[in-house]
Amino acid sequence: MKTNKKNIILGVFIMLFLSLSLIVQSQSIKNAVTETFKVSGNCGMCEKTIEKAANKKGLVKADWDVDKKSLQITYNSKKTNSEEILKRVAYAGYDNAKYKAPDEAYANLHECCKYERSNTKQIASENQNDHSQHIKEASENKVVEQKKTNPLEQTYSLYFLLKDALVKDDGSLASLKSKELLSELNSVKMEALGGKEHAAFMKYFADLKTDVGHIAETKDISSQRERFTNLSENMYELMKVAKPPYTIYLDNCPMFNDGKGANWISKESSIKNPYYGSQMLTCGKIKETLK
Amino acid sequence: MLTLLILLIEIKAQKTVRYDLYVRDTVVNFTGKEKRAIAVNGQIPMPTLTFTEGDTAEIYVHNELKESTSLHWHGLFLPNKEDGVPYLTQMPIKPHTTHLYKFPIIQHGTHWYHSHSGLQEQIGMYGSFIMNKKKSDPTFRKGIDDLPSIPIVLSEWTDYKPENVHRMLHNASDWFAIRKGTTQSYAEAIKARHFGTKIKNEWKRMLAMDVSDVYYDRFLINGKNESQLTQLKGGDKVRLRIANGGASTNFWLTYAGGKITVIASDGNDLEPTEVDRLLIAVSETYDIIVSIPSDSTSFEFLVTSEDRIKSASLYLGNGVKQLDSPLPKLKYFEGMKMMNGMMKMNGDLDDMGMQMSLNQMDMNVVMYPEITGELNKEKKHDMQDMKTDSTGKKMDHDMKGMDHSSHQMYNSNAMSDITTLNYAMLKSPIKTNLPKDAPIKELHFELTGNMNRYVWSLDNRVISETDKILIKKGENVRIVMFNGSMMRHPMHLHGHDFRVINGQGDYSPLKNIIDIMPMETDTLEFNANVEGDWFFHCHILYHMMSGMGRVFTYQNQAKNPLITNPKFAKRKLFSDDRKYHLMAENDIATNGNDGTFMLQNKRWSIGTEWRLGYHDIHGYETETHVGRYIGKMQWLMPFVGFDWRYRKLGIDEKEENIFGQTNTKDNRTQVSLGVNYTLPMLIIAQAEFYQDGNVRLQLMREDIPISKRIRAGFMVNTDMEYMIDLRYILNKNMGVRTHYDSDMGFGVGLNLNY
Repeated sequence: MKTNKKNIILGVFIMLFLSLSLIVQSQSIKNAVTETFKVSGNCGMCEKTIEKAANKKGLVKADWDVDKKSLQITYNSKKTNSEEILKRVAYAGYDNAKYKAPDEAYANLHECCKYERSNTKQIASENQNDHSQHIKEASENKVVEQKKTNPLEQTYSLYFLLKDALVKDDGSLASLKSKELLSELNSVKMEALGGKEHAAFMKYFADLKTDVGHIAETKDISSQRERFTNLSENMYELMKVAKPPYTIYLDNCPMFNDGKGANWISKESSIKNPYYGSQMLTCGKIKETLK
Repeated sequence: MLTLLILLIEIKAQKTVRYDLYVRDTVVNFTGKEKRAIAVNGQIPMPTLTFTEGDTAEIYVHNELKESTSLHWHGLFLPNKEDGVPYLTQMPIKPHTTHLYKFPIIQHGTHWYHSHSGLQEQIGMYGSFIMNKKKSDPTFRKGIDDLPSIPIVLSEWTDYKPENVHRMLHNASDWFAIRKGTTQSYAEAIKARHFGTKIKNEWKRMLAMDVSDVYYDRFLINGKNESQLTQLKGGDKVRLRIANGGASTNFWLTYAGGKITVIASDGNDLEPTEVDRLLIAVSETYDIIVSIPSDSTSFEFLVTSEDRIKSASLYLGNGVKQLDSPLPKLKYFEGMKMMNGMMKMNGDLDDMGMQMSLNQMDMNVVMYPEITGELNKEKKHDMQDMKTDSTGKKMDHDMKGMDHSSHQMYNSNAMSDITTLNYAMLKSPIKTNLPKDAPIKELHFELTGNMNRYVWSLDNRVISETDKILIKKGENVRIVMFNGSMMRHPMHLHGHDFRVINGQGDYSPLKNIIDIMPMETDTLEFNANVEGDWFFHCHILYHMMSGMGRVFTYQNQAKNPLITNPKFAKRKLFSDDRKYHLMAENDIATNGNDGTFMLQNKRWSIGTEWRLGYHDIHGYETETHVGRYIGKMQWLMPFVGFDWRYRKLGIDEKEENIFGQTNTKDNRTQVSLGVNYTLPMLIIAQAEFYQDGNVRLQLMREDIPISKRIRAGFMVNTDMEYMIDLRYILNKNMGVRTHYDSDMGFGVGLNLNY
């Protein structure tokens, strides 16, 4: 009985404290409106970054739930709005119900925070508390099929993104793109390829995978670049057979590999050297053009 | 029957398109404050006017303002009297009258229109002017000219009255810099480890550098800071017809959905060029194509002011918004360092032998983190260290050393993987050669100016100080321009397109605006084919109003029927750049009241200073100087002075200066002759000779930027007078000031300025 009384007193205290803190909280933000939005992310570090980006003293209080991937925001509706808050979150690198982060902001996230980005851009429809002026579309949940003219197109475009990462001296981005390229290589619909193309793909498949795998494993840009020479050779052989629908250029850097030179493939006629990046960006020349 | 059909087609092709434009005062609210603006047919920007080549335009302008107005059809080929420059091609449209502009549409492309009266362009009078190609046009490009197109006018908004902006610019007020956070004070310099840079900058008599002059509250795309075009779907391509209707802001254009294909500029077709970004200078137009990569996402088309302080966004597509990376903040002290290297002690710019033109080499890249690396963790480019060397010798050496391709300093396309459009990349799809056997007239202009006094001119002469430039009908006019000033200037020619000589030979692009950066030399040429008085001027509104331009006129041309009194019109035209700007300051302090009142224009300065004590012993004195600024940099100002003072000194007390000259008079009235000269570190040295033979030498410096909002000043002279002061800037018109004065002692007070 005694303990019971104690518990009751304790309970009263806790309730008092809770209600007090509630009052304090609701007092701290005027004209408060609370809404919940989908915000992508991975870990505790993400939580910190997301909340820091969203919070504004006296105006916005944000709480991100790592399991539900949802952000609850309480804000002063006369001074700010959910668009402003979610925009800040996107600039911090996190895709959400209203904004997708700039690619650069996403690339700058810590490795452990690089959540998987949805390609189909589906987050919009999952807005849980939607009283925004967006037009609701029933069709939005439908996965948008990417129009692929060439079953290898995705492979090629990932190669170019990998090359661009090397141009930017960005080893971690190169590693990321290689991972994507590796999984793309494994999922190429070979049955959709023509006879010649199929044969060529089979011929270079293993070598391509080895080189891409090595580049994916490391973030050391110089070893990535060493592997990239061989990858580019094989990729070019493949492209010669399974031609992309646009003009490509085989570019040559005469200096790389102790003066033995190295090639790479580019979609643009201007030279952006992936072997030296910013050190010697425009070093090189066009060796062959494939139309 | 056939002839009838042809006749019908002819009639259809030559239809008259009529617009009625009602110009009215309006109140807008872009920032939470209600401000006056001018709307046409109730809207800002003005309505988009659309025509097809071959039409006749009939535009009725109903002026319902309390002031006069005018409309200029920017980039159009038309009879001179329809060009819309008040007091040059027509008399202003008076309040409550209607004026008809009527002209045949003989070209196609993206253009725009704006008021050419006063500063009306700043507060709403800009709009798109679109002329479509005929379907039968041989230059009609499938896949380009048949794309859906959206007219876009970029502009800016300030809550300050434009007249006040203009005045503040002339007074070298640094309030805009404070608002932008670009004061570049000594404290900030020390923090950024650029103290030496700042000292050198002031040694070379420069004020804080910036890429634009005015702080704006909002940037606008078709009158809105943010908007969305939800009708676009994944896979769509869209043509944006963009005109920069801003009064003084250049904009960066970038797109979150991929590359930008540039297909026309200033209304003239270009060979399509893919770029990552481009800068659209004031009053230029660009047509670009962008594609929407996927459904249920809208991609940000981002328009950022050149100073990168603010931006405006247009989201293309429907759904969640894919943001574009914002442009990182400028590294101002790097820019200052670069400027120090370029500026000679005499105020001339030194291009160190780099022949710069066509925006290919952009000195500003030293300030762009996305090209030259972030602050503190700069990429170690070989070229990075080089640019600090102002002798140029080391540079030449290194340039050769690393020459294994087209490496060029300041060439942003060579230094990064970001492709930025420049004028050398523009190529016309058709030959643009001028008539072959025409005589050539070559004209040379140096763009001159002085940021400290906000004087902008050509060859150090403003419009009112020069005659019209005579050209002959039929001749080919070639203009070679060198920009010797520290700002970039978008130079615009009325009534003609010029070829930009950019290395594309027969296919040189046609434009009517060329943005010329400091130290660049550009060559333009056009065939003189329409008589009239045609304005050629810098399109930055505040530069134009300061007189940066010329008028081309044709020899023996017919009189303009709209200008009935040419003498009067000329005087009115010239009055713009002759205008005096008022500056006043008063300090109400515990030890007295002092202040200045100043009226200044291009060349003249009329200023009065007063120091009023609260006791007879402290005295009352005023000094009035009327002077004229001499030279391009205007460092020298001889003046005539008039001094009066009254005070009560004790018996036998007398003042003696360091030359042993005395004066005992308590009531002294003097006329003087003197001269001001601006020394390095922006110290003004003054020598003044009074009628009684007394001489006074004085050194003075005002507004030393100590920190973002703190300014210091000092004065010392041979009358053994001295003063030091510190001022904290509260807002545009107010500050708190403390000073010590040898006459009046220590004081604290409120500083008011206008």
